[in-house]
Amino acid sequence: MKSKKMTFRGKVTQGISDMFLVWRRELRKVFHDQGVLIFFILVPLAYPLIYAFIYNNEVVREVPAVVVDDSGSALSRQFARMVDGTADVRIVARCADMEEARQVLREGEAYGIFYFPDDFTDRINRGEQSQVSIFCDMSGLLYYKAMLLSATEVSLELNADIKVARAGNTTAEQDAVTAMPIEYEEVALFNPQNGFATFLIPAVLMLVIQQTLLLGIGLSVGTDRERNRFNDLVPISRHYNGTLRLVMGKAFAYFLVYAVVCVYVLCVVPWLFSLPRLADPATLFAFLLPYVMACIFFSMTLSVFVRNRETCMLMFVFTSVPLLFLSGISWPADAMPGFWRGFSWLFPSTFGIKGYVAINTMGATLDEVSVEYMALWLQTGIYFILACVVYRWEILNSRRHAIDDYHRLRNTAS
Amino acid sequence: MTVITGETLARLLRVVRRECRRFVSRPLYLFCMVIAPLFSYLLFATMMGSGLPTDLPVGVVDQDGTSTTRMVVRNLDAFQQTKIVAHYPDFAAARKAMQRGDIYGFFYIPKGTTTEAMGAEQPRVSFYTNNSYLIAGSLLFRDMKTMGELASGAVARETLYAKGYTEAQAMAALQPIVIDTHPLNNPWLNYSVYLCNTLLPGVLMLLIFMVTVYSIAVEVKDGTANELLATSGDSIYVALVGKLLPQTLVFFLMAIFYNVYLYGYLHFPCNSGIGPMILASLLFVIASQAMGIFMVEVFPTLRLSLSFASLWGVISFSISGFTFPVMAMHPVLQALSNCFPLRHYFLIYVDQALNGYPMVYSWQSYVGLLLFLFLPFLVLPRLKHALKTYIYIP
Repeated sequence: MKSKKMTFRGKVTQGISDMFLVWRRELRKVFHDQGVLIFFILVPLAYPLIYAFIYNNEVVREVPAVVVDDSGSALSRQFARMVDGTADVRIVARCADMEEARQVLREGEAYGIFYFPDDFTDRINRGEQSQVSIFCDMSGLLYYKAMLLSATEVSLELNADIKVARAGNTTAEQDAVTAMPIEYEEVALFNPQNGFATFLIPAVLMLVIQQTLLLGIGLSVGTDRERNRFNDLVPISRHYNGTLRLVMGKAFAYFLVYAVVCVYVLCVVPWLFSLPRLADPATLFAFLLPYVMACIFFSMTLSVFVRNRETCMLMFVFTSVPLLFLSGISWPADAMPGFWRGFSWLFPSTFGIKGYVAINTMGATLDEVSVEYMALWLQTGIYFILACVVYRWEILNSRRHAIDDYHRLRNTAS
Repeated sequence: MTVITGETLARLLRVVRRECRRFVSRPLYLFCMVIAPLFSYLLFATMMGSGLPTDLPVGVVDQDGTSTTRMVVRNLDAFQQTKIVAHYPDFAAARKAMQRGDIYGFFYIPKGTTTEAMGAEQPRVSFYTNNSYLIAGSLLFRDMKTMGELASGAVARETLYAKGYTEAQAMAALQPIVIDTHPLNNPWLNYSVYLCNTLLPGVLMLLIFMVTVYSIAVEVKDGTANELLATSGDSIYVALVGKLLPQTLVFFLMAIFYNVYLYGYLHFPCNSGIGPMILASLLFVIASQAMGIFMVEVFPTLRLSLSFASLWGVISFSISGFTFPVMAMHPVLQALSNCFPLRHYFLIYVDQALNGYPMVYSWQSYVGLLLFLFLPFLVLPRLKHALKTYIYIP
């Protein structure tokens, strides 16, 4: 009866001290549970390393290709030699005809064919346009890209030579202008070497943070339920009675762990593999704060659906692949149907990845990622409220179960 | 090995029946075996429904502002893949817009471009693309390269026309050699074809790993492992076959579903006919299940075997080489890629459905999938021992 008359100040003090108790217990639970430790420590530690190892080479070099040269002229031979000389393509064989070349492709020895028609040089000598055909195996778009890049590079160079030879200019500068009246250049402003690791790994790193939190918290909740007599999430205890102290105490424990994990995953890993690190530390820190909090409350909300310790893995692991695509890092978000775009906004990873890529790979400031930044704060707020709602519900549930149990016991006793 | 008798069959049926009861008793199975794969199929196929992203937003910084440069800009807008959404006063503003994600690239025309071109001083026009988004960046790169050639040629072409050249002659003079590309069997460079054919089976494989591992190891956790062995007459073969056969059926149905969806409904290239792909899918499903059994045998603890399944399943997407080619990976990884069923399935898909080669050209991949079936036999006694004696450790 006394507690009901507690002053407001007393309640707050009580709440805060309970919150720290919940926090301490949750931290102890995290560090004493091997399963949770796997997700909170081992996976964030090892996964980025595996990914970085896989994509370490960044680009495909020396894609094997064959040549079918019906022209057999000096120019076609020069073209083929120059293609072989580029970093992207390696000529592995010269074939007599297309059928032979296709056979090499079928056997998987090469991924493309460079074909020179018999009138290749004659047409150029007559002042007509001549063409080189590339046939490319489409099992990987990077093969196609390598072959196209290499052929374009060589043709630009040869075209310039041919034009200069025809024009009969007297100075080098005139030569340059004849070859190309307006010089144009393509600049890859960010990720200049077109690297696969630079493109994919930052997104994977951010996703790892959300997914391991989801799995770790899910596992921990599943364990709580299994240990509880009524399969409830919240134990019956005076200290676990308030929603706020419970949600905030737990969230604070996860936050502490992930403050360290984030530094490793988002700062040490890019440094280890010399990925772009254009981020201003203060900007990165300010951006990560709402991201980690949104992930924590998001995971706490979803975790109530986990009934058993291990089922969270069956429910959540496969979502990593769709979530990576929903973030728009691969298939551009602007080309996604509206429904999926809206759906992607439910997940912190969508905004987290976009913002982190902008900050880390493109050196953006908070001003440029303000949309993502605000969205993450909004998600933090919404998921915090949702987490409170579901935890409130769970507290009431366990209280009801306890009271039912009490009545049942009393009935049996009498 | 004992000869299969009526008694064995009866036991097998009992295990199958027991397993079916377990399916219905937990919504988790329904979720992982039917809902999750179907959801992922729909998500990937409809998300990339257009095949190629169209109207990607790009910007323009036109500091020259003459009629020639405006024409160049209008031409750029006519390309299918690009859509000019904004004009920016200077480079810094466009760069910021790129960081914000408003545009994927921009066209930079410095002041004096037109006059310099007329005066044969060779001005420079630049295109900036954002390759942090590799696919969008590459697509723009292609359009902008073509555009650049056209822009550069436009000035010279006018001069040549004035000299009395025909269009063909002018083009021949400007670009003596052209590249004519033939992307075999995917001439549209359709990204959905390129990704969905491996993503869909990949998600299914991940779920097969998880469900196989879970359904076996959970018997240890629930303390029902001995009951399972009793039902099967103490035969680990009967127990496993009876347990996994109903799952094989469901997963194979899910595999047929994506085959029909991709090749029948979406009309993705299937130059070999559907037969070889259905066969490959069946082998793929069974190989994935065998891999799952192997995982439980190595780590009979539920948590560890599920972790193993997650790791192997998620890494499959990268190491199978359908986005980043295996030939560009470290030699150790190239060898390791053979231990992933998805890698073999991908190679079969490329040879059969995409390129329409006869099945004999991919025999190594078929053998590769079949070899997975031997994997569980290596450590089978260990599993039986585990089922009999292991006590669940959280």
